[in-house]
Amino acid sequence: MTSPDISISSLMLCFLLLVIPLAISYRIKLHISRTTIDAVARMTIQLVLVGVFLTYVFDLNNGALNLAWVLGMVIIASYTTIRNIELKMEKLLLPVILSFMAANLSVLMYFNKFVLDLGNLLEARYLIPIGGMILGNSLRGNIVGMGEFYKDIRRNENRYLYNLSLGASMYEALMPYIRKCLRSALRPTLANIATVGVVFLPGMMTGQILGGASPMLAIKYQISIMIALYVSTSMSTAFSILSTIHTTFDEYGLVKKEIYREKGKKKEKRK
Amino acid sequence: MQDEIIRYENVGISFGSKKVLSNFSLSIPKGKKILMKGKSGTGKSTLFKILLGFEKISEGSVYYRGKLLSPQVSWQVRKEVAYVSQDTDLGEGPVKALLEEVHAYRPNRKKMGPEKLHMFMGELELEEDILEKNFENLSGGEKQRIGILIALLLGRDIFLLDEATSSLDSGLKKKVADNFLKHGDWTLFIISHDREWEREEVEIIEIEKTDLIEE
Repeated sequence: MTSPDISISSLMLCFLLLVIPLAISYRIKLHISRTTIDAVARMTIQLVLVGVFLTYVFDLNNGALNLAWVLGMVIIASYTTIRNIELKMEKLLLPVILSFMAANLSVLMYFNKFVLDLGNLLEARYLIPIGGMILGNSLRGNIVGMGEFYKDIRRNENRYLYNLSLGASMYEALMPYIRKCLRSALRPTLANIATVGVVFLPGMMTGQILGGASPMLAIKYQISIMIALYVSTSMSTAFSILSTIHTTFDEYGLVKKEIYREKGKKKEKRK
Repeated sequence: MQDEIIRYENVGISFGSKKVLSNFSLSIPKGKKILMKGKSGTGKSTLFKILLGFEKISEGSVYYRGKLLSPQVSWQVRKEVAYVSQDTDLGEGPVKALLEEVHAYRPNRKKMGPEKLHMFMGELELEEDILEKNFENLSGGEKQRIGILIALLLGRDIFLLDEATSSLDSGLKKKVADNFLKHGDWTLFIISHDREWEREEVEIIEIEKTDLIEE
């Protein structure tokens, strides 16, 4: 049993449904018609491209190419994280990429080897979608965790300096901030784990059931993937923070001011 | 000199293009008590922060125990010198937890005995129940006394006190000053506007406001 195909004309019928929100937007002046059309157009183009690429990648199923695809996703995820937390790329990009690689690739490989028991660990059908889920979740965790860490350390700079003055090592003085931001980073994933099945059926499970898998198989996949997401998000966030500390703090233990991207704040006047 | 703890040599401090202090020289031998006075904005607090490695000097040089200031020396200063900051935002949560955290730092382990804690708390007129309170809910005077308490508990003998008694009543100011000054071997470098620190054994330095030069 497999899912019925969606023909181009059926897809058009699906797009037709958009008339409803557009009509509502027009009638009560929501002013989101433009945004809706833009978003749907972007989604369609992106997914068509991904579909075309993945068709090729899956057909070739070349291990090196599949791995390169995942590495590309790692770089984009790292870049997106740093851009979202308003820090500068130069000091952070490399440590974040390495952290994402170490944490997410190791969990991904473990998953493929021991949970799925794949003969070929780099099998495109598993490596790319599962890698994508793991990276997506890490991305969200890192945006929350790293964002909070670097914001806190700046907001509470006096407190941090005071702890240094008491003889704390950099790690001792940073530990309360690291604890706090890791907790924040993991909270959404934990909430997801605790409510899955009750509040929502995750996309992967839905997809498998639509694809003809039995619900029992689908939940086994879901349980394993949720654990993998939790593990990889904790590891990658911890690695990112610990590895960026080396490039973002100077030898006095002070955070380098130049890592922050200033937005519209007045700078020290220099003549 | 062998017993010299701190030496500033022709130190200049600028904030941006504003020069607030220039040609400042001072030598502090072991056991010396120095009180620095002067208007705000003259870079007094910055002189402390330079030593701790929190600020950089624009000109001149600073020595600690004869060693030119460097990152390594600043880390050493942080382990050997007790600093009471003018800023009393020292942390949050129960005072007890705050004290425990400070004493978990490697250089401070095994320094805090309960009898020492109670003795210092008595001297500072702090009630026992303050240990259970959250630091952020304390009054300014109480926060300041916790800062002094922590500095005393560290068991160090060099002190940088930056307006450490400003929010205390005058009886307590005197008591705190007495307590610090009675130790002949303690090296005290004090910034304060409080007259209670002006004693015979204390050398007073007036910091003049440098003419503000805008380049």
